[in-house]
Amino acid sequence: MKSRKNIISIVCLIAAVILPWLFNSTYYLSLFGQTLINIIIVFGLNFITGLTRNMNLGTAGIMAVGAYTSALLSTRLGLSPWIGLVAAILVGFLIGRGLGYPSLRISGVYLSLTTIAFGEIVRLVLNNTTSVTGGAQGLTNVPVFSIFGIQIQRGIPFYYFLLLFMLLMFWLSTRIVRSKWGRAFKAISDNPDAAESLGIDIAKIKILAFTLAAIYAALGGALYGNLMGYLNPSTFNFDFSINFVIMLMIGGIGIVRGNIIGAIVVTMLPELLRFLGDYYQLVFYTIAFIGAIKLPQGWPAGIASLAKWIARKTGLKSRKEG
Amino acid sequence: MLNTILQLAVSGAALGFVYALVGIEYSLIWNATGLLNFSHDKIITLGAYVAAGLFFTKMGLPIPVSFILSIVVMILVGFLMATVVLNPLRKMTTIFTIMGTILFGKMIYELIRLLYGSAPFTVPGLMTGTVHIGSLVIAKSNVYIIVIAVIVVAALQIFMQTTKTGKAMRCVQQNKKASELMGINVKQNIRITAAISSVICLIIGFMVIPLYTVSLSMASMIGLKGFAAGVVGGFGFLPGCIVGGIVVGLIESASVLVIPSVYKDAVAFLVLIIFLLIKPTGILGKKS
Repeated sequence: MKSRKNIISIVCLIAAVILPWLFNSTYYLSLFGQTLINIIIVFGLNFITGLTRNMNLGTAGIMAVGAYTSALLSTRLGLSPWIGLVAAILVGFLIGRGLGYPSLRISGVYLSLTTIAFGEIVRLVLNNTTSVTGGAQGLTNVPVFSIFGIQIQRGIPFYYFLLLFMLLMFWLSTRIVRSKWGRAFKAISDNPDAAESLGIDIAKIKILAFTLAAIYAALGGALYGNLMGYLNPSTFNFDFSINFVIMLMIGGIGIVRGNIIGAIVVTMLPELLRFLGDYYQLVFYTIAFIGAIKLPQGWPAGIASLAKWIARKTGLKSRKEG
Repeated sequence: MLNTILQLAVSGAALGFVYALVGIEYSLIWNATGLLNFSHDKIITLGAYVAAGLFFTKMGLPIPVSFILSIVVMILVGFLMATVVLNPLRKMTTIFTIMGTILFGKMIYELIRLLYGSAPFTVPGLMTGTVHIGSLVIAKSNVYIIVIAVIVVAALQIFMQTTKTGKAMRCVQQNKKASELMGINVKQNIRITAAISSVICLIIGFMVIPLYTVSLSMASMIGLKGFAAGVVGGFGFLPGCIVGGIVVGLIESASVLVIPSVYKDAVAFLVLIIFLLIKPTGILGKKS
């Protein structure tokens, strides 16, 4: 079983490496780049919403703060994007701490309201501090990264750069999920009282999960700015935050590999369902809605159990025939 | 100066009543099911589109007739919502209940967008004009909003206190298991609650047409601020919603005197966060 999983992973990795050569156009490369960034952000969301089961509907707001921090440092102050990236991580850390504290007092729907309010406030501030952020006009000319004086151009080089980043974050996420932290995240959502009696500091662990989620989102935001070269506050709206939770749900809540599948499905589906034209969004939301109600364990697990069920049914039938 | 403050107070109170009705509309569903209906702003929008878009503009019926026909449609929408969304989600965990209602809202949104397009329109002559009291000039729509809201609240109170269905709704609010054991059909109760809530959504949607015109995003802000109203007043507590709504409306209106008006929308969210951190039970809320 383990070797089969490894083979699938290697095949997927090879596919990811040759993908940009098969679809070599600016549009597709930007789409693939966005997919990779979304994967990184869903990894982060998985800690807080997937494992500790605290709803975060302000992901787009955190992402926006990361994106603007990095982009403003590099466009207005002329600093290297690498410094911007570090600054975004730092800001993510601070936001995570800040959003984590409310989560100690409130939970469930109240927490989701707080995170929605946070996202809306961020968007309003970005929209109206025109002299700094460019407001609704947007922020242009976000520079690209360079390594040892060589610029990583947008397009195929930047795709590989993001792919490396995604793999690094994937490795980090799986390590964290399997570590003491990851088990503590799961424990406090399964049974907080039992977890506390075993010596887990719930407050500390909750804030830790929030901080990790915010760092991932801020990092994703900074990379998003570098990928697009252009930022606009209206991108980071409530719908964007919802999409991340949909990715999480589709992949199966709490499963790191599932996060990748969810992010790919939600980001690429518009391409596959392009023939639906204007009806695409209605179809997509309807599918996601039915999925939420009928397959709460995620699509991959749902499809697997469906396949098993069919196999058992047909197996029974053939036994009867024989 | 005094005139400005009075005018702000009237428009703040009118907005406050809108938020209060939003608070009441989702609190009813919260009390019946334990679910927070995140699709409520889309139902408000749907109400406005059905009344103003379908019956008034497309079919050319007079306003009262289109309103009554819309009530019928919205009751059906409420039944549909109860069967498709609220009843299946009742037993699921928070993430799915939140996402389920959000996705249902997105489906309604897309449906409206496909049927009517994304261009906003308005109903000419609906609640327009001004009233002069001394040197004070008040928009008629504000007066209408306050009057309609008071009537709705009074009617709802009478319904909850006197009728058997209303009493059953209050029982379910207090204890779902016990009321089920006492022979109250909880599922049926949810259906009726959803229908009442949808009709209130229609009324809200119709009332705010003069303020926001009929557009796809007309209710997204009042939807979120209605949540703030509920939290400020006391979650799931109907008189609390009214107090919370008016408080949020007045603070928001008064904020224009102190900070740039572009940040007016952020004020309600800030109030929401502050209340959740300091007094999550709200002004009138009891300790749970």
